[in-house]
Amino acid sequence: MGLLSIIRKIKRKEKEMRILMVGLDNSGKTTIVLKINGEDTSIISPTLGFNIKTMTYDKYTLNIWDVGGQKTIRSYWRNYFEQTDGLVWVVDSSDLRRLDDCKFELDNLLKEERLSGASLLVFANKQDIQGALSPDEIAKVLNLDAMDNTRHWRIVGCSAYTGDGLLEGFNWLVQDIASRIYVLD
Amino acid sequence: MNNQQAFTIATDDISTDPTVDPTTQRKHAAMIERLSNLHQSRVSSKSNVKDPSFESTQSFLLVFTNSKQAIETSLAQIQQIPDSNLNHDLKSDLERISLSISDLEKLVAENSYFLPPYEVRSSLKTISDLKQTLDSVTSKVKPRKKFSFKNKPAKKSETANVLVDAVNKNEPEHQSSYKVKDSPGFRSKENEVLVKEFKSSEVGEYVLSDLTNCEVRLKGCFRTLFINRLQNCKIYVGPVLGSILIEEVEGCLFVVASHQIRIHHAKQSDFYLRCRSRPIIEQSVGVRFAPYCLSYDGIESDLKESNLYDDAGNWANVDDFQWLRAVQSPNWSILPENEHIDSVKI
Ligand SMILES: Nc1nc2c(ncn2[C@@H]2O[C@H](COP(=O)(O)OP(=O)(O)OP(=O)(O)O)[C@@H](O)[C@H]2O)c(=O)[nH]1
Ligand SMILES: [Mg+2]
Repeated sequence: MGLLSIIRKIKRKEKEMRILMVGLDNSGKTTIVLKINGEDTSIISPTLGFNIKTMTYDKYTLNIWDVGGQKTIRSYWRNYFEQTDGLVWVVDSSDLRRLDDCKFELDNLLKEERLSGASLLVFANKQDIQGALSPDEIAKVLNLDAMDNTRHWRIVGCSAYTGDGLLEGFNWLVQDIASRIYVLD
Repeated sequence: MNNQQAFTIATDDISTDPTVDPTTQRKHAAMIERLSNLHQSRVSSKSNVKDPSFESTQSFLLVFTNSKQAIETSLAQIQQIPDSNLNHDLKSDLERISLSISDLEKLVAENSYFLPPYEVRSSLKTISDLKQTLDSVTSKVKPRKKFSFKNKPAKKSETANVLVDAVNKNEPEHQSSYKVKDSPGFRSKENEVLVKEFKSSEVGEYVLSDLTNCEVRLKGCFRTLFINRLQNCKIYVGPVLGSILIEEVEGCLFVVASHQIRIHHAKQSDFYLRCRSRPIIEQSVGVRFAPYCLSYDGIESDLKESNLYDDAGNWANVDDFQWLRAVQSPNWSILPENEHIDSVKI
């Protein structure tokens, strides 16, 4: 165990949650994080590396890790798996051509032992775009129903552009994590 | 950490062509020893310095550089063995190096919360370079077919190989069973001029794919553009509110404006851009950049409406995701002004 995780244990306030956001490049991860944090989303460059945002939601402190999804840096995702309570997989619902790519990467991720306990929120993002697939269609393409039945998961349609669906998604995620981790309070 | 010193011999020129050396056998033995020392130092440094987190950029860089040099040295040792001697079982050595690289990667991750962004970027880049070197050494030691070391590696030109590989990897590994509809767009055309005009209220996506020798003119604003597999095309596009994703293009000219522009697998193409954020390239070569130069009736109000009226100069701030360092990437350049095309009116 690295020092970071030890520090985290010590510093970890009772109500802290670690949330990892991943997905293909261009899916809208950074836009989503900035939007829910009430920041300007008009100038966002593709993420080199990652961003960490700490925000309070309800009575919880969320540490959100937004990791870049460009192909050359996807291999670094696994550096962030440790101690993840919630996994957010973001899909560009208008990028029909790369849905197979998207499914492939998600399937790989879900095989990961260190993420096996994490709740999974799939954001079917960019619902404001005319040709975007609905959350139901995305669920079919990604074959989410076939997922290991011990996994807590949910798909929510959203638009980081309008903000629709973002709170609904995070609300589910936080409650789900809370019900597993803080079941004693 | 004393034995770390032994590893810090000059290793800059790891790609030097190995000349046949009569003492290769001895060298090989020495290398094995060094590798095992490297392994030892890795193991012992783990137990001595229990926590690979330093909270100081300087001490991080010290440790990072030491490990990096140790790995480079090991790789260089293997590379210096002439091909004819590669029939040793180097598998465990390679595995050990691979483990060391993973450790290094972990080190960066564990310290990333206090490191300045540039250090994180360049450390990640170093790791990806090490992996690449390891891959090329591995493929030399273990050519494609296992247990057939006598096979000479195919003598294809390297760049061609790389491209083919990259493109193959892009192909979907599993086809999903659920068939989805197609987005609007121009597909599979040759030698045509393709024109589309958007009303200002468009909120859709648009696709250009599998075009050869075509000229495409898209006027008006729309929300997002996907471009895929173009050869020798000229692409003129009005302001795109969201992002433009360009993949697998060759010999093309683009005049496009958007909030975000991502370019993957592009070869020998020129991009005249206006972009609110930093344009990025990945797995691309010979791409050149210049400022946007398009006009059509009403473009001014379209540009204003989509917040792209002002050119912030970002067309020149290109990030190459495979070249994350302070020095200029060899894969892209600024197009010299005397080679700019004239402003295009469509
Ligand atoms: N129309 C629309 N565009 C969106 C939406 N969300 C994000 N975008 C656009 O999609 C592009 C990519 O967004 P980013 O947030 O940079 O994507 P990312 O997933 O962080 O990408 P990486 O950092 O490379 O992994 C930007 O141009 C955003 O403006 C959305 O809900 N609707
Ligand atoms: Mg991002």
